[in-house]
Amino acid sequence: MALIEVTDLVKEYKLNVRKKGLSGAIRSLLVPEFKLKRAVDSISFTIDKGDTVGFIGPNGAGKSTTVKMLTGILAPTSGSITVGGLSPFKERKKNAMRIGVVFGQKTQLWWDLPVIDTFDLLRHIYRIPAQAYKHNLAMFSEMLGLQDFINVPVRQLSLGQKMRADIAAALLHDPEILFFDEPTIGLDVVAKEKIREFITFVNREKGTTMLFTTHDMDDIERTCNRMIIIDKGTKIYDGTVEDIKRTYGNDRIMVVEFGEKAEPIRIPGVELIDAKDNRMWLRFHKDEIQASLILNRLTQKYSISDFTVQEPEIEGIIRDIYLGGIHLDKSVSGVC
Amino acid sequence: MGKHSMRSLFVLFFKYSNMNLKLALEYKLNRSLIALAIFCREMIGVVVMFLILLRFLHIRGWEIHEMLFLYSFLFLSYSLFVLLFAGIRDFDNMVHSGDFDRLLTRPLGLMYQIISARIDFTATIGHGVVGIVLFMNTAFSVGIEWNWQNSLYYVLALIGGTIIQASLFLLSACFSFWAVKTENLRNLIFFNARRIAGYPLSFYPVFIQKLLIFVIPFSFVNYFPAQYFLRKDGSFWEGYLYLTPVVGALLFYLVFLLWKLGVRSYTSTGNSVY
Repeated sequence: MALIEVTDLVKEYKLNVRKKGLSGAIRSLLVPEFKLKRAVDSISFTIDKGDTVGFIGPNGAGKSTTVKMLTGILAPTSGSITVGGLSPFKERKKNAMRIGVVFGQKTQLWWDLPVIDTFDLLRHIYRIPAQAYKHNLAMFSEMLGLQDFINVPVRQLSLGQKMRADIAAALLHDPEILFFDEPTIGLDVVAKEKIREFITFVNREKGTTMLFTTHDMDDIERTCNRMIIIDKGTKIYDGTVEDIKRTYGNDRIMVVEFGEKAEPIRIPGVELIDAKDNRMWLRFHKDEIQASLILNRLTQKYSISDFTVQEPEIEGIIRDIYLGGIHLDKSVSGVC
Repeated sequence: MGKHSMRSLFVLFFKYSNMNLKLALEYKLNRSLIALAIFCREMIGVVVMFLILLRFLHIRGWEIHEMLFLYSFLFLSYSLFVLLFAGIRDFDNMVHSGDFDRLLTRPLGLMYQIISARIDFTATIGHGVVGIVLFMNTAFSVGIEWNWQNSLYYVLALIGGTIIQASLFLLSACFSFWAVKTENLRNLIFFNARRIAGYPLSFYPVFIQKLLIFVIPFSFVNYFPAQYFLRKDGSFWEGYLYLTPVVGALLFYLVFLLWKLGVRSYTSTGNSVY
């Protein structure tokens, strides 16, 4: 049985319609006008134990709302959610015992007190047995380097340290499911890397199921075995990063450096994007023309001193999907 | 790991208090100054009232010490209120900043967390000292016999009054589920009623008397308890004098139901509506 089951989930908000100008403001004060906004529009999916799933989508797509319903913060308008057989909103307390939540932009640590004080409070909140608490604390300290700043008031920590402490705080009670809302926002490369490594480790060692919402595609590529793309409240993709890449990542860019000054050459199926000094940037579709063929044609005329072929990054593909440049084809597995 | 028992909730409550105390001690000077500022602000009000009252021997049968005794209830119960229920006072802020989201992800009751997570020691001291100063200067000069029955009544009335104020704050907090910022509503309901309650209820027109008994029952916070001890006016029903704890419990229960309803329609405005 799936650990998380979501069926036809809908969340509607009542928005106050504000009219322009002073007279409008007075009018909407006297006769408030509401508009229903469907933030989540019948989304369904299941997640198995041990899965790592990334939720992505442009701002306002409904992914945060979905996560808030999964964690029991919001009541769904209609549809059903079960998390390990529980309804997160109706059985909020029971569900809360089994989940951990990290909000990237909102720490749960007590701002003016040392990190260890919050940990100790959490030990009581979740009634963590002394043995498990000690074991987890030692493990997280070592892996995340917490011992350097565990006795420092949170307000004096760097963003990266705070995030590490926050993740440890969410994991102290060995939750079955961990929710991350933008866990690496604003962090430098090294800090991001350390956190991703840790997350992967915990998933492997403890079998913790993990859900992310993020805008950082590297997060998804490095830590998730599955991604769900949400746009305008509906699910538009549910599959692997590789599948998307395989289907939409066929454009290649070849950068060629010539031994001498080279004139632009016309090769069918190859587009010259840029040329500078002895270098050229050529775009081609990998199914239409082979890279070796292009090289062959070029070496007939000039000597080549260096070349590279670049694959498109998933970030670029996702950007194209958001902007409507790529319409997901029904034939691709995972497209809904 | 497991469910909380009464005992573990009690232990956790002290853990929270401990954290709050540490927090207060983290900024000793700052908090002391705030406590002093609150004391001065409230004391000035009392002194002004005292100076005005000095010009009269008594107003409608109320003497100056009796008026100040009446006043002392307001401060002592408010001090107790910010000690026990500061989380309710700051609730709209909690909703506005998104901190309420965090409470919803914890395996604890919401009201429990709101009450235990925040204790305002600074305001407790600020208001409390004013209350104690007033009490010490009046309680033994207005002819009250401090036997055990009266003392018990006094404690119960104080607790009842505290809960009535908590209910009024919770009532305004309820609206933050629908309107987010509720400061003005709270000022309207609470602080106006409190100002009116600074003087004996019998001074006011019937409409305001009814308002303070039946709608915003602030009269049970100070007027009726004081009346129990002083027996100044005979125009009210005798039973009111004993109802403070009952009104407190009933009001809190009713508002709590409304609050539960509010939680259901909570839309989490923390970072965005989406």
